[in-house]
Amino acid sequence: MIPEQILFFVLAVASIASAIGVITFKNAVYSALSLILTLLFLAMFYLLLGAMFIAVVQILIYAGAIMVLFLFVVTMLAPESPVEERDRLAWQRIAAGLLAVVLVGSLSYLIFSGNNQAILLNPGANSLHHIVQTQGDIQAFGLALFHGFLFPFEITSLLIIVAILGALVFGRRA
Amino acid sequence: MPLSAYLVVSAILFTIGIVGVLTRKNPLIIFMSIELMLNAVNLSFVAFSKFLDTADGQIFVFLILTVAAAEVVVGLALIVSIFRTRRSIDVDEMNMLRG
Repeated sequence: MIPEQILFFVLAVASIASAIGVITFKNAVYSALSLILTLLFLAMFYLLLGAMFIAVVQILIYAGAIMVLFLFVVTMLAPESPVEERDRLAWQRIAAGLLAVVLVGSLSYLIFSGNNQAILLNPGANSLHHIVQTQGDIQAFGLALFHGFLFPFEITSLLIIVAILGALVFGRRA
Repeated sequence: MPLSAYLVVSAILFTIGIVGVLTRKNPLIIFMSIELMLNAVNLSFVAFSKFLDTADGQIFVFLILTVAAAEVVVGLALIVSIFRTRRSIDVDEMNMLRG
Protein backbone atom coordinates (compact mmCIF):
# COMPACT_ATOMS: atom_id res chain seq x y z
CA MET A 1 0.00 0.00 0.00
CA ILE A 2 1.42 3.33 -0.98
CA PRO A 3 1.25 5.71 2.00
CA GLU A 4 -1.09 8.57 1.45
CA GLN A 5 1.61 11.20 1.95
CA ILE A 6 3.82 9.87 -0.83
CA LEU A 7 0.87 9.61 -3.17
CA PHE A 8 -0.24 13.14 -2.36
CA PHE A 9 3.26 14.54 -2.90
CA VAL A 10 3.73 12.76 -6.22
CA LEU A 11 0.32 13.91 -7.46
CA ALA A 12 0.95 17.48 -6.30
CA VAL A 13 4.31 17.73 -8.09
CA ALA A 14 2.91 16.09 -11.23
CA SER A 15 -0.17 18.30 -11.44
CA ILE A 16 1.84 21.48 -10.85
CA ALA A 17 4.39 20.43 -13.48
CA SER A 18 1.71 19.76 -16.08
CA ALA A 19 -0.03 23.03 -15.17
CA ILE A 20 3.23 24.88 -15.81
CA GLY A 21 3.35 23.01 -19.09
CA VAL A 22 -0.07 24.39 -20.02
CA ILE A 23 1.10 27.99 -19.79
CA THR A 24 4.59 27.39 -21.17
CA PHE A 25 4.31 25.45 -24.41
CA LYS A 26 4.42 27.47 -27.59
CA ASN A 27 2.32 24.93 -29.45
CA ALA A 28 -1.35 25.15 -28.46
CA VAL A 29 -1.89 21.42 -28.99
CA TYR A 30 0.83 20.63 -26.45
CA SER A 31 -0.87 23.01 -24.02
CA ALA A 32 -4.19 21.23 -24.49
CA LEU A 33 -2.58 17.84 -23.91
CA SER A 34 -0.87 19.19 -20.79
CA LEU A 35 -4.23 20.41 -19.55
CA ILE A 36 -5.72 16.96 -20.10
CA LEU A 37 -2.87 15.51 -18.04
CA THR A 38 -3.52 18.06 -15.29
CA LEU A 39 -7.20 17.14 -15.27
CA LEU A 40 -6.35 13.47 -14.91
CA PHE A 41 -4.04 14.18 -11.98
CA LEU A 42 -6.76 16.24 -10.37
CA ALA A 43 -9.17 13.33 -10.83
CA MET A 44 -6.71 11.19 -8.89
CA PHE A 45 -6.72 13.87 -6.19
CA TYR A 46 -10.49 13.58 -6.00
CA LEU A 47 -10.19 9.81 -5.61
CA LEU A 48 -7.73 10.39 -2.78
CA LEU A 49 -10.27 12.70 -1.14
CA GLY A 50 -13.09 10.19 -1.44
CA ALA A 51 -15.09 12.01 -4.10
CA MET A 52 -15.59 9.04 -6.39
CA PHE A 53 -18.42 10.42 -8.48
CA ILE A 54 -16.67 13.73 -9.07
CA ALA A 55 -13.48 11.96 -10.14
CA VAL A 56 -15.26 9.93 -12.79
CA VAL A 57 -17.35 12.91 -13.93
CA GLN A 58 -14.18 14.96 -14.24
CA ILE A 59 -12.61 12.39 -16.55
CA LEU A 60 -15.78 11.89 -18.57
CA ILE A 61 -16.87 15.50 -18.96
CA TYR A 62 -13.82 17.69 -18.50
CA ALA A 63 -11.09 15.56 -20.02
CA GLY A 64 -13.41 13.66 -22.32
CA ALA A 65 -15.76 16.27 -23.72
CA ILE A 66 -14.56 19.79 -22.97
CA MET A 67 -10.93 19.16 -23.86
CA VAL A 68 -11.90 17.30 -27.04
CA LEU A 69 -13.87 20.40 -28.02
CA PHE A 70 -10.79 22.48 -27.25
CA LEU A 71 -8.62 20.25 -29.41
CA PHE A 72 -11.07 20.51 -32.28
CA VAL A 73 -10.87 24.29 -32.20
CA VAL A 74 -7.10 24.35 -31.63
CA THR A 75 -6.40 22.19 -34.65
CA MET A 76 -8.91 24.16 -36.73
CA LEU A 77 -7.30 27.47 -35.82
CA ALA A 78 -3.74 26.25 -36.20
CA PRO A 79 -1.54 29.13 -37.26
CA GLU A 80 0.12 28.77 -40.62
CA SER A 81 3.36 30.22 -39.38
CA PRO A 82 4.64 29.78 -35.82
CA VAL A 83 3.35 32.66 -33.76
CA GLU A 84 6.13 34.80 -32.37
CA GLU A 85 5.12 35.90 -28.91
CA ARG A 86 6.67 39.32 -28.62
CA ASP A 87 6.10 41.05 -25.33
CA ARG A 88 5.60 44.79 -25.13
CA LEU A 89 7.98 44.95 -22.17
CA ALA A 90 11.05 42.77 -22.22
CA TRP A 91 10.93 41.99 -18.48
CA GLN A 92 7.24 41.09 -18.51
CA ARG A 93 7.72 37.34 -18.01
CA ILE A 94 10.10 37.79 -15.08
CA ALA A 95 7.76 40.27 -13.41
CA ALA A 96 4.85 37.85 -13.91
CA GLY A 97 6.83 35.05 -12.29
CA LEU A 98 7.81 37.19 -9.31
CA LEU A 99 4.27 38.43 -8.79
CA ALA A 100 3.02 34.84 -9.02
CA VAL A 101 5.44 33.83 -6.28
CA VAL A 102 4.21 36.75 -4.17
CA LEU A 103 0.59 35.66 -4.70
CA VAL A 104 1.30 32.04 -3.78
CA GLY A 105 3.24 33.19 -0.72
CA SER A 106 0.43 35.40 0.54
CA LEU A 107 -2.21 32.73 -0.10
CA SER A 108 -0.11 30.13 1.70
CA TYR A 109 0.35 32.47 4.64
CA LEU A 110 -3.39 32.94 4.87
CA ILE A 111 -3.98 29.20 4.56
CA PHE A 112 -1.53 28.29 7.29
CA SER A 113 -2.57 31.07 9.65
CA GLY A 114 -6.21 30.05 9.84
CA ASN A 115 -7.43 27.99 12.76
CA ASN A 116 -7.83 24.31 12.05
CA GLN A 117 -11.08 23.74 13.90
CA ALA A 118 -13.55 22.20 11.53
CA ILE A 119 -17.15 23.23 12.14
CA LEU A 120 -18.93 20.12 11.01
CA LEU A 121 -22.10 21.08 9.18
CA ASN A 122 -23.85 17.72 9.40
CA PRO A 123 -23.03 16.10 12.69
CA GLY A 124 -23.77 12.53 13.56
CA ALA A 125 -25.91 10.42 11.30
CA ASN A 126 -26.06 12.99 8.52
CA SER A 127 -22.32 13.33 8.11
CA LEU A 128 -20.81 12.32 4.82
CA HIS A 129 -18.64 9.47 6.05
CA HIS A 130 -21.59 7.94 7.88
CA ILE A 131 -23.78 7.97 4.76
CA VAL A 132 -20.89 6.66 2.69
CA GLN A 133 -20.37 3.78 5.12
CA THR A 134 -24.03 2.85 5.37
CA GLN A 135 -25.29 3.56 1.88
CA GLY A 136 -22.40 4.19 -0.51
CA ASP A 137 -20.56 6.97 -2.31
CA ILE A 138 -22.98 7.60 -5.15
CA GLN A 139 -25.95 7.39 -2.78
CA ALA A 140 -24.36 10.06 -0.59
CA PHE A 141 -23.82 12.34 -3.55
CA GLY A 142 -27.31 11.70 -4.91
CA LEU A 143 -28.99 12.31 -1.57
CA ALA A 144 -27.22 15.64 -1.20
CA LEU A 145 -27.92 16.65 -4.79
CA PHE A 146 -31.61 15.82 -4.91
CA HIS A 147 -32.52 16.77 -1.38
CA GLY A 148 -30.63 20.01 -0.89
CA PHE A 149 -29.72 21.18 -4.37
CA LEU A 150 -32.64 20.16 -6.53
CA PHE A 151 -33.40 23.66 -7.79
CA PRO A 152 -29.84 24.45 -8.96
CA PHE A 153 -29.72 21.05 -10.62
CA GLU A 154 -32.84 21.82 -12.62
CA ILE A 155 -31.62 25.30 -13.47
CA THR A 156 -28.45 23.89 -15.04
CA SER A 157 -30.64 22.51 -17.80
CA LEU A 158 -31.69 26.09 -18.56
CA LEU A 159 -28.03 27.09 -18.51
CA ILE A 160 -27.17 24.41 -21.05
CA ILE A 161 -29.98 25.53 -23.34
CA VAL A 162 -28.70 29.10 -23.17
CA ALA A 163 -25.18 27.89 -24.00
CA ILE A 164 -26.46 25.94 -27.00
CA LEU A 165 -28.35 28.99 -28.24
CA GLY A 166 -25.23 31.10 -27.80
CA ALA A 167 -23.16 28.65 -29.80
CA LEU A 168 -25.77 28.58 -32.57
CA VAL A 169 -25.91 32.38 -32.75
CA PHE A 170 -22.15 32.77 -32.82
CA GLY A 171 -21.71 29.93 -35.25
CA ARG A 172 -23.91 31.35 -37.93
CA ARG A 173 -22.27 32.49 -41.14
CA ALA A 174 -22.58 36.27 -41.06
CA MET B 1 -2.72 14.99 4.69
CA PRO B 2 -4.03 18.09 6.40
CA LEU B 3 -6.46 20.41 4.69
CA SER B 4 -3.80 23.13 4.27
CA ALA B 5 -1.76 20.93 1.95
CA TYR B 6 -4.64 20.55 -0.50
CA LEU B 7 -5.39 24.26 -0.28
CA VAL B 8 -1.78 25.19 -1.02
CA VAL B 9 -1.77 22.96 -4.11
CA SER B 10 -5.04 24.60 -5.17
CA ALA B 11 -3.52 28.06 -4.63
CA ILE B 12 -0.46 27.18 -6.71
CA LEU B 13 -2.58 25.85 -9.57
CA PHE B 14 -4.79 28.94 -9.39
CA THR B 15 -1.76 31.23 -9.58
CA ILE B 16 -0.35 29.31 -12.54
CA GLY B 17 -3.72 29.84 -14.25
CA ILE B 18 -3.59 33.57 -13.51
CA VAL B 19 -0.08 33.86 -14.94
CA GLY B 20 -1.25 32.02 -18.05
CA VAL B 21 -4.20 34.35 -18.56
CA LEU B 22 -2.10 37.47 -18.17
CA THR B 23 0.96 36.36 -20.14
CA ARG B 24 -0.12 34.45 -23.22
CA LYS B 25 -1.34 35.93 -26.47
CA ASN B 26 -3.19 33.01 -27.95
CA PRO B 27 -6.82 33.22 -26.73
CA LEU B 28 -7.13 29.44 -26.72
CA ILE B 29 -4.30 29.15 -24.21
CA ILE B 30 -5.88 31.98 -22.19
CA PHE B 31 -9.06 29.95 -22.16
CA MET B 32 -7.19 26.86 -21.04
CA SER B 33 -5.66 28.83 -18.19
CA ILE B 34 -9.15 29.90 -17.11
CA GLU B 35 -10.14 26.23 -17.08
CA LEU B 36 -7.07 25.55 -14.95
CA MET B 37 -8.23 28.17 -12.46
CA LEU B 38 -11.68 26.58 -12.32
CA ASN B 39 -10.11 23.21 -11.64
CA ALA B 40 -7.95 24.62 -8.87
CA VAL B 41 -11.10 25.90 -7.17
CA ASN B 42 -12.72 22.50 -7.72
CA LEU B 43 -9.85 20.89 -5.83
CA SER B 44 -10.29 23.22 -2.87
CA PHE B 45 -14.04 22.56 -2.86
CA VAL B 46 -13.54 18.79 -2.76
CA ALA B 47 -10.89 19.14 -0.04
CA PHE B 48 -13.29 21.17 2.10
CA SER B 49 -16.03 18.64 1.42
CA LYS B 50 -13.83 15.89 2.83
CA PHE B 51 -12.71 17.86 5.86
CA LEU B 52 -16.07 19.34 6.80
CA ASP B 53 -17.68 15.91 6.37
CA THR B 54 -20.39 17.08 4.02
CA ALA B 55 -21.29 16.39 0.41
CA ASP B 56 -22.04 20.03 -0.40
CA GLY B 57 -18.54 20.67 -1.75
CA GLN B 58 -18.91 17.88 -4.28
CA ILE B 59 -22.29 19.27 -5.37
CA PHE B 60 -20.66 22.64 -5.97
CA VAL B 61 -17.96 20.99 -8.05
CA PHE B 62 -20.68 19.31 -10.11
CA LEU B 63 -22.35 22.67 -10.76
CA ILE B 64 -19.02 24.36 -11.53
CA LEU B 65 -18.33 21.60 -14.06
CA THR B 66 -21.62 22.30 -15.78
CA VAL B 67 -20.99 26.04 -15.87
CA ALA B 68 -17.47 25.46 -17.21
CA ALA B 69 -18.83 23.30 -20.02
CA ALA B 70 -21.37 25.95 -21.00
CA GLU B 71 -18.72 28.67 -20.84
CA VAL B 72 -16.31 26.70 -23.02
CA VAL B 73 -19.01 26.19 -25.65
CA VAL B 74 -19.86 29.86 -25.89
CA GLY B 75 -16.25 31.04 -25.64
CA LEU B 76 -14.97 28.75 -28.35
CA ALA B 77 -17.84 29.71 -30.65
CA LEU B 78 -16.85 33.33 -30.08
CA ILE B 79 -13.17 32.65 -30.86
CA VAL B 80 -14.06 30.76 -34.02
CA SER B 81 -16.31 33.58 -35.25
CA ILE B 82 -13.56 36.13 -34.54
CA PHE B 83 -11.12 33.98 -36.50
CA ARG B 84 -13.56 33.85 -39.40
CA THR B 85 -13.70 37.62 -39.78
CA ARG B 86 -10.18 38.54 -38.76
CA ARG B 87 -8.13 35.48 -39.89
CA SER B 88 -6.03 36.00 -36.78
CA ILE B 89 -6.58 35.24 -33.10
CA ASP B 90 -3.84 37.34 -31.60
CA VAL B 91 -5.39 39.11 -28.62
CA ASP B 92 -3.03 42.04 -29.00
CA GLU B 93 -4.67 42.80 -32.35
CA MET B 94 -8.22 42.72 -30.98
CA ASN B 95 -8.37 46.39 -30.19
CA MET B 96 -11.54 47.55 -31.94
CA LEU B 97 -15.04 47.25 -30.58
CA ARG B 98 -16.50 46.63 -34.04
CA GLY B 99 -15.44 44.56 -36.96
